Amino acid sequence: MKASARLVVTLDSHGNSVVRVLRSMTPLTLVPHRRVGPVALVHLVSSVTAPLGGDSLSLTVEVGPGASLELRGVAATLLLPGTSGAASSSSVRFLIGGTLSYRPEPTVVAARAHHTAVVEAELDSHAELRTREVLVLGRAGEPAGSLSTSMRATRCGKPLVHQQLVIGDSLADSSPAGLAGKRVIGTDLLLDTKARAAGGGEWWSVVPLAAGGTLATALGEDVVTVTRVLDSI
Amino acid sequence: MLTALILADSRFPGGGHVHSGGLEEAAVRGLVHDEPSLRSFLHGRLLGAGLLAAGFAAAAARGEDLAGLDAELDARTPSPAQREASRAQGRGMLRAARRAWPSERLDALPRDPHQPLVIGVLVGEPFEAALTCAYLAVSGPASAAVRLLGLDPFGVNAIVAALPVQDVAARACKELPALGSPALDLLAEAHARREGVRLFGS
Repeated sequence: MKASARLVVTLDSHGNSVVRVLRSMTPLTLVPHRRVGPVALVHLVSSVTAPLGGDSLSLTVEVGPGASLELRGVAATLLLPGTSGAASSSSVRFLIGGTLSYRPEPTVVAARAHHTAVVEAELDSHAELRTREVLVLGRAGEPAGSLSTSMRATRCGKPLVHQQLVIGDSLADSSPAGLAGKRVIGTDLLLDTKARAAGGGEWWSVVPLAAGGTLATALGEDVVTVTRVLDSI
Repeated sequence: MLTALILADSRFPGGGHVHSGGLEEAAVRGLVHDEPSLRSFLHGRLLGAGLLAAGFAAAAARGEDLAGLDAELDARTPSPAQREASRAQGRGMLRAARRAWPSERLDALPRDPHQPLVIGVLVGEPFEAALTCAYLAVSGPASAAVRLLGLDPFGVNAIVAALPVQDVAARACKELPALGSPALDLLAEAHARREGVRLFGS
């Protein structure tokens, strides 16, 4: 299955963030909330089981200057292998002039899945992006399939953050210098212009990025623990 | 080739010996305590941080824009402790290099450059630069393990010799990597905040 969806939110003359373009394509279904206000709320619903091996999904989101959008997932994403053994991919592109909060639910990498997920964000000078990613290596009692994620964000063309994560090489996943054998990794990325101090504990840290913004990372054995740590930062 | 050998030599006066690449923190926590756990640590370090550093050394050796590479490597190094360790080792290497191999391209490096960029400029050939960088990503922590944990130097040397350093260097020459190392970043940050006696700067 190949699908592409697009969402555009802009600021109207009354200071409200308004959905101007909403183009869903199964399984990427965008559900806007009928509320008027400074922040638009849209849910991203996966309307069939996806992605399976062979699927290719892409989503483009534009948030105009001064506009604000909350884009939320509704259920965890389960990455599954297809019958053909082919890889699946998803790509998300953000063009941000205002403020975007992107909160998908956790992604579970099922055994034998083979998926590539790319997120690219282009921010204008005053734009803000807040996003949380939680990855789970395998369902209960199974080893993880393979997943490669990439997050790249630029502000006015200059790189802010570029992090790739590869899951599924058991030697690297179990290494204290890889994922330390933890089953769940969570990150909160906050790209704004406020300076924050570094801090951390045994398996979590919050760090200021070199070119502005903050990244919080937590490793743990389950989603509840990891999201609790991220919520407390 | 001779430059690469000199840079990879632990007797090179670039100050690399004060860095353990996260090994000290891993040893303090008991995550690395014997040869198998050291092998696991070094394997993960090579495939993550090692590949990343080697890719940037290769790109600098290819003659790519150094300020641009410096900013890209910063974007791939979220941990300030890791950025500081990389720049401190770059600074130390540059100090020795200015006497040994002065050049205009060396002068074109940004202030306190990331170490892989210095290696790339000095070695000048992408694969050799990547190989030097990938090797240094594991040789320093391996030597630190001998000193911190009293492991058998022959055993540790055999572990290093069996690591896929050449494969990683070859991969690093293909495209600019962006591989993160979440656990290594957490170890680096915890090490930087640790109070009390620390033998290594990182």
